[in-house]
Amino acid sequence: MMDIFDIYLLEAIVNGILLGGLLALLALGLNLIFGVIDVTWICYAELVMIGMYGMYYLVQVFGLPYYVAAPFTILLVAGLGALLHLLVIAPLLSAPPINQLLATGGVLFVLQSFASVAFGIDFRNLGIRMPVLKFADMHFSYSRLLAFGAALIGMLLVYFFMKRTYVGTAIRAISQDRQIMALMGVDTRRLYLITSALGGALAGLASCLLVLQYDIHPFVGLSFGPITFLICVLGGLGNFVGGFVAAFVFAVIISLGGLFSDLEWGYVLAFAFFIVMMFIKPAGLLARRS
Amino acid sequence: MLGRKTARLFFGLLAAVAAMGTAVSAYAQEKKIKIGVIYDLTGPLAGGGSELGYVGAKIMLDHYAKTGVEGYKVEAVYADAQSKPDIAINEAVRLLEQEKVDMVLGFFSSAQCVPVAARVEQLKKFMWITTCISSAVFENKNYKYVFRPQASGDQFGQMTMDFIAGNAQSKFGKEPKDMRVAIIHEDGSYGVDVSKGNEAGAKKAGFNVVMKEGYSATAPDLSALVTKLKRARPDVIFHTGYNPDITLLLRQAREQGLKFGALVGHGAGYGVYEKLKEGLGGDVNYVFNTDPISIWLANEKGLDPKLVPVIKMVGEEFDKVRPGVAIRSAHVGIAASNIYVFMNEVLPRAIKKYGGVDPEALRKAALEVDLAEGGTMLGFGVKFFGEGTPMAGQNERSFPVVIQYVDDKSYVVWPKSQAQREAVLPLPAGSTYSNK
Repeated sequence: MMDIFDIYLLEAIVNGILLGGLLALLALGLNLIFGVIDVTWICYAELVMIGMYGMYYLVQVFGLPYYVAAPFTILLVAGLGALLHLLVIAPLLSAPPINQLLATGGVLFVLQSFASVAFGIDFRNLGIRMPVLKFADMHFSYSRLLAFGAALIGMLLVYFFMKRTYVGTAIRAISQDRQIMALMGVDTRRLYLITSALGGALAGLASCLLVLQYDIHPFVGLSFGPITFLICVLGGLGNFVGGFVAAFVFAVIISLGGLFSDLEWGYVLAFAFFIVMMFIKPAGLLARRS
Repeated sequence: MLGRKTARLFFGLLAAVAAMGTAVSAYAQEKKIKIGVIYDLTGPLAGGGSELGYVGAKIMLDHYAKTGVEGYKVEAVYADAQSKPDIAINEAVRLLEQEKVDMVLGFFSSAQCVPVAARVEQLKKFMWITTCISSAVFENKNYKYVFRPQASGDQFGQMTMDFIAGNAQSKFGKEPKDMRVAIIHEDGSYGVDVSKGNEAGAKKAGFNVVMKEGYSATAPDLSALVTKLKRARPDVIFHTGYNPDITLLLRQAREQGLKFGALVGHGAGYGVYEKLKEGLGGDVNYVFNTDPISIWLANEKGLDPKLVPVIKMVGEEFDKVRPGVAIRSAHVGIAASNIYVFMNEVLPRAIKKYGGVDPEALRKAALEVDLAEGGTMLGFGVKFFGEGTPMAGQNERSFPVVIQYVDDKSYVVWPKSQAQREAVLPLPAGSTYSNK
């Protein structure tokens, strides 16, 4: 019988953690927006897709170095996030949640179709080959390590922004009571706009890192959108730390499940875990008992 | 009086003849075959090769729209399956019932072919499959109105195993029982079917199958699969996938240090060299692919001479649409060739011998097609398994070939009868995945 407790098991665990970093980064922006504005951007992964195209054109067509193109892309997607809020979310803020959900769902299809028409259906690639970190018989991708590091730093920055800055405090306050804050003279529209731009910027950051690992095509969001949404729900919608932990739990289950059985079973186990947790902790992994 | 009557009769007759003439003329104008054409123009399958199939089909259909067939006009109505089986079914039904097309044609994805074939058969309409390969489309279905000149998936899987079996001793220096092979595939109809062929071929060859596993083509991470492949240490990996899952797998394989002796792909994403090259760079060198032979690689001497100018025409038209492509994808030729067979063998016979283009006439005409090897641009012949046989509707004379990408060119390396050069096996030392 094959010894399963070998170096490959360790490699799978580390790869699971690195995948978790990528998913955590994706979940961060979505959680921020839901936590504050109380609207779920179903089209979040499509903003990431637009950002990936932005990176492609800036690097491949306009010849900018990767590290110069990345800040432009983050700004572009931040602007797109703000625009999405102004054009779609703001008019629906007092509408029933289902209307908001359907509206952002509509934006998802609009962005996919727009990308198909504007950029074509060909797969595109940045053509950057990142080096590989070798340790014993294990190999780890620098692009994943970079995403992992960015997720950690992003998480800390958002945390400190929310806890230590005036705007962050105002955002937290508005997430607790939307009506009262307006009555106290706070410009809620401005805060929503800042939050949407920040959520967009995080999507932009994710897109800068995803282009190092994935091909770009109009439907790339389909691979990440549903799983990101599940992670946010598993961690508790709007709970940054919960989403962060959930991403790693989810990714390690996928990785280990895939190692011990068929790859598909990794996803089955992860989704089964999600369903069970929804019964045990419906408010999220880190929710306190009321 | 008589003169007046004669005049009335004359003008009456004249009017009747004129009316009849108008009717006949209108009838003549109505002599056309309306063909519903379905490929994926959006969604992940479009860039994975389906859109290239559409280009090949359009080149051929545009050609026949100009010439017509046996006095019939050819009119194509195109639809986009959007890479989704449900959309493919809906579009096929819409074209047949609302657009009133006489038949449907095309189909890239096996996941679409299987349900669409069942639906079209149920409607007793004619379906001509150009590209998808899953055996499940026909296996024990005994369809009457569905035909496929294209090779089937299990043939793909067995052909590649035969290829490695034929080279195990000479290239790897190993007995077949010592050859460690891994079979991995996307888990749709296409991948599962090819993997069955792989498994049967491996059993026949006596290979040691160290791993067999499916995965979802939209999975965001394949690192666990790569880790298992590292643990299994295969000499040869037999892979069936679309794109971008192929590039994701091979990118993660490079990053995780996976080594092997050869990688053998089976059509779909492996048939679109430009995209492989863009995604993997030089790592695509020495990768094998299995597909019906590219019409531009077929040995002209072995082909029916009348096909040579057609191949040239398809190439020229393709270059107008996609200038500067290093290797013209086999998907273009597959669609073009299989439509050419329909236009030259099935349609004229249906019109002349069976009096029209209704499903019954087309079915009878298709069953009578009898082309020997070299009778199509893809090199193989055409003869469909008849009703009552387990694979009724499938071409029994089709076969794929194994090609190898070497320095931005593709060469047929198997079967030996078609081979243009010796296969480079195993991967040369120094290449990214080489286990030497």
